[in-house]
Amino acid sequence: MPAPPPSVPAAPPEGAVSPEAPCAHCGLPVGRRPARTAAGEACCCTGCATVRDVLAASGLGETYDRLRTVAPSARPAGRPQAPEALALAELDRPEFLDGSTRPAEGGRAVDLFVDGVHCAACVWLVERLPYEVDGVSAARLDLPRARLSLTFDPDRVRLGDVARWLARFGYAVRPSRPEAGEASAAERSLLVRMGVAWALAGNIMLVAFALYSGLGAERGGLATAARWFSLALMVPAVGYGAAPFFRRAWASARAAWRARSLRHLHLDTPIALGIAVGAGHSAWATVTGRGEVWFDSVAVLIAALLTARWLQLRSRRLAGEASDRLLALVPRVARRVGPGGAVAVVDLDDVRPGDTVEVPAGEVVPVDGVVTTGASRLDRAALTGEARPEPVDEGAPVEAGTTNLTAPLRVRATAVGEATRVGRLLAWVERGEVRRAPVVLWADRIGGFFVLTVLGLAVLTAGLWLWLDPAQMPAHLVALLVVTCPCALGMATPLALAVASGRAARAGIFVKSDAAVQRLTEVDTVVLDKTGTLTEGRMELAEWEGSGAALDLAAALDAHATHPVAEAIVRARGVGPEPVTDIEAVAGQGVRGRVGGAAVAVGRPDWVEALSAPLPARWRRALAAWAEAGHTPVAVAVDGAPAAVLAVGDRLRAEAADLVAGLQAEGKAVHILSGDDARTVAAVAGRLGVESARGGVSPEAKREAVAALQDAGGVVLMVGDGVNDAAALRQADVGAAVGGGTTAALVAADLFLTRRGVAPLVDALGGAEQAMRTVRRLLALSLGYNAVGAAAAVAGLVTPLVAAAAMPISSLAVVGLALLQPSFAARPAPAGDRPAPPRPDGPSRLAAPPRPAALADASPRPS
Amino acid sequence: MNVLYVLVPLALALALGGVAAFRWAVRDGQFDDVETPALRVLLDDEEAPTDGAPSPPPDA
Repeated sequence: MPAPPPSVPAAPPEGAVSPEAPCAHCGLPVGRRPARTAAGEACCCTGCATVRDVLAASGLGETYDRLRTVAPSARPAGRPQAPEALALAELDRPEFLDGSTRPAEGGRAVDLFVDGVHCAACVWLVERLPYEVDGVSAARLDLPRARLSLTFDPDRVRLGDVARWLARFGYAVRPSRPEAGEASAAERSLLVRMGVAWALAGNIMLVAFALYSGLGAERGGLATAARWFSLALMVPAVGYGAAPFFRRAWASARAAWRARSLRHLHLDTPIALGIAVGAGHSAWATVTGRGEVWFDSVAVLIAALLTARWLQLRSRRLAGEASDRLLALVPRVARRVGPGGAVAVVDLDDVRPGDTVEVPAGEVVPVDGVVTTGASRLDRAALTGEARPEPVDEGAPVEAGTTNLTAPLRVRATAVGEATRVGRLLAWVERGEVRRAPVVLWADRIGGFFVLTVLGLAVLTAGLWLWLDPAQMPAHLVALLVVTCPCALGMATPLALAVASGRAARAGIFVKSDAAVQRLTEVDTVVLDKTGTLTEGRMELAEWEGSGAALDLAAALDAHATHPVAEAIVRARGVGPEPVTDIEAVAGQGVRGRVGGAAVAVGRPDWVEALSAPLPARWRRALAAWAEAGHTPVAVAVDGAPAAVLAVGDRLRAEAADLVAGLQAEGKAVHILSGDDARTVAAVAGRLGVESARGGVSPEAKREAVAALQDAGGVVLMVGDGVNDAAALRQADVGAAVGGGTTAALVAADLFLTRRGVAPLVDALGGAEQAMRTVRRLLALSLGYNAVGAAAAVAGLVTPLVAAAAMPISSLAVVGLALLQPSFAARPAPAGDRPAPPRPDGPSRLAAPPRPAALADASPRPS
Repeated sequence: MNVLYVLVPLALALALGGVAAFRWAVRDGQFDDVETPALRVLLDDEEAPTDGAPSPPPDA
């Protein structure tokens, strides 16, 4: 591939550049008509070319080298790219206007997902909306969540027009589902609670300082006032701040009572006990004027615990919203053909069996049905794993979830919604959620054990001090209960996992539950899907022999054909500037024509041979071998002589071999399960060195195969991308959906990767390992703290001052170690799955340099 | 030490003010997105035209 490394202006001026080659400035694909810089590098737009020229002229070319070391931005790349036109139609429906927008000053307000925003220039461009589109009064973009808050006047502008304006710059707009607001409200209320708790704790500490520095020893009015003041602040800290802990502790205590089992005691129970005893004893001491007060320790404890909870909630929400965003790519509307032949966009729920729907090329078929008009090719990869597009014409059955590739179709629905094959699969996936046993984290499991131990120690302390010094007994008992409050222990696991999943999200790995991180480290069996997971999932130029120049001529000719094979060649070779004339496409055979004076024919080998001369024996053997591997063989003839042979097929991802080898080196059993043809699967498995591979597996059989592996004692990680993998993803101990996967796979998976390819999976496994190591280290640290604290309390060495020092230190140590953990550390961009050489990571949103960002304003596409 | 009778309520009043401001900020959504505003300051204001690009030509 001729794309230049970002910092070296090496591209041949005006040479043919693949439309998929990265823009020299921003790294986006350059498209069919790249803009050129002065040095001849290909850019996606004149804006990027201008920026690159200005940077080069000012001697700032090294900017690109610096950018390359920045972690790649998590840019979702979705295969089920929703049909643009349909998404626009959904935005303009009156039901959407009523249901998803809300009245606001200046018209109505709406939240939309904007796909493709990733840097400061994107923020600038999107927020120009009010200046550029009449009727839009405000636009605010939330970059990490790709959410645009828009205020507009529905009488003056339609949302579809706003989306069309944004689409010109390469941003796709999707309606956002409203559920996200509730999560945000819960997070806000927890944040307020946390702020109040810290403010109260700060003031209580202020007074505690006075008490510790001598005031406490006096019994004057001031000391009493200080204690009462602390008590007054403690009431809201316990009643409001600690309320969630008491609620959960009460719930778990009731569950434990009903089940007559201590195992049901959550770790919140000893925490609530510690808070209650510490605060209660201190209140009693204040009222009676005798004994020690522990207000400061308890108040800081509450605030620290709330902070850990909030961090955890926030990181979880980010992952949840990322999956929402990808789910929003799927439209919930269809084009129904009315009685008079008029096509109307209606809600998918309103389509009935017997209705006829129209499916333009590029859109996903919304129903199971039979083709009534038209002939096209269907991409069934998502449903069956079959990588090659299959031709359909009148009378052929089509399934919901497949993509119509080449020509519009009309389909009479035979089944809709849950009655479709994909609907039945999804229904099982959703039901499966309940059936699956929740993995209880170790820290929670020890709640019961912890309570028992503390109670035992309490009895020991009480007995010991009744015998030694009965007057001291209550003070030491309270000291024990306060100092053994498992604050650090309760924070350790959630905090370490929250930090890890936040880091993972930045690396494009979204983990839906903390439990998945833990189970990821226990995996010993990996089941891989083939199509779309180990392979690209679409037709690509896989192999070729012969003249490269002939291939470029073939690409120029094929740019005028719509066949998937032709498109694969164009993607791989790009289009040169030569004029193409006399194009003749022969259905089922190939294309011939003149490219810049040369007569070129591209197509089936036997057809090309008939037009030119017999192929050399060496090429025949190559073609036969490629066909054996499941590829489509193609020959190219130039001026009546065979010039090249090539194979178009679903190419193996570059990093697939490394992934499999790495997994096997770690002693994990690797299996391949695919719905594709068994021969193709065997060929792929052979190249990867996987012994256990099965082809032609139905989605249901995939699930059973995973279950069988589990019954045999394996902890199974299933990796897949399609609807046909969804059930298996759900069944597996950990399901991972790879970048560009389908909706169903996203719903079913425990973690999903937004970067293309399977390389992030290696990062995910390694990161999970390190995260769990951190968790274990933190648990050991906090348990050690509790053990030492308990021993000291039994011995009567813990005073309020000791507790006030030791408890925050233990919590801070946990927080610090959790934040400093090395899991999912940012690394230089790994080579992508694209054939492109080192991808310039582009102006990552982490490090967009201000200068290019401002300059890129002139760009018609995001830079 | 009598100064404490003034300073402690004062500290409390300050804390109350802080909590009220914090609560307003959270409700206002100031903490919902802590990344975009950091980028927004990099962008020029409407009054100051950007270098050679007074407005983005939509069809460039």
